[in-house]
Amino acid sequence: MTQVADPDLKELTDEVADHDRPWIVLVWNDPINLMSYVSFVFQKLFGYSKEKADELMLDVHEKGRAVVSNGPREKAEIDVFRLHEHGLWATMQQDT
Amino acid sequence: MRRKRQSGPIEAIDNGLFEIRLTADERATLLGFVDQLEEVMLAPPDDPRLRRLFPTAYHDNAEFDAEYQNYMRDELAQSRAASIQTVREVLGVEDPLTESQLYAFMTVLNSLRLVLGTLLDVDEVDDLDLIPEDSPAYGQAQLYEYLGWLLEWTVSALSGE
Repeated sequence: MTQVADPDLKELTDEVADHDRPWIVLVWNDPINLMSYVSFVFQKLFGYSKEKADELMLDVHEKGRAVVSNGPREKAEIDVFRLHEHGLWATMQQDT
Repeated sequence: MRRKRQSGPIEAIDNGLFEIRLTADERATLLGFVDQLEEVMLAPPDDPRLRRLFPTAYHDNAEFDAEYQNYMRDELAQSRAASIQTVREVLGVEDPLTESQLYAFMTVLNSLRLVLGTLLDVDEVDDLDLIPEDSPAYGQAQLYEYLGWLLEWTVSALSGE
């Protein structure tokens, strides 16, 4: 089997692959938000159980940040928006 | 044996409704701070008091973030304004609150804490105890603690605890 060297095609494929890489939503530790509040917001926004939400909240608190959701860019943007609505320090980036 | 739960300022009552048990003075004080929050929200986007209310979404991509802020910032401001309006309505009367009204109350309390905490430059909550009574920040620190206390009760009532 031969491969046609087509730079345009390669670029296009890379772009598609890049576009397909999922996005992750991170919540960062901050000294203001209450732990109970953060856990409650995770439960409300993502439907996580209290156990799962507490675990994520403690990760944020102890490790400085935690991945709270992931998915396509549009979904990640909505999640970030809702977290910002609740005053949480959330950012998004493409998964590496 | 179950001990009777201590009664707090926010309580679930019948029919999925909630009661805010605050004095007329406390309500008036809170309403005053809600007015101030609304004013802060009208400040220019680079005002440091707004830093925590309108955070960066893409911290590693300035171009994407500018794009995001361009279409989301107004929406976020509108959402906050709607919650503020709800809080104004519920604090103005003594009627029971629906869950969504109490939820709005919760997010507004949290926004107030974010602005105050930013002003106080809170690093560790313990530091606040060290602010001397004659310092201008003392009143802010007291209010910050009060809002935290009220927020804890609100979260606990909404969690059904």
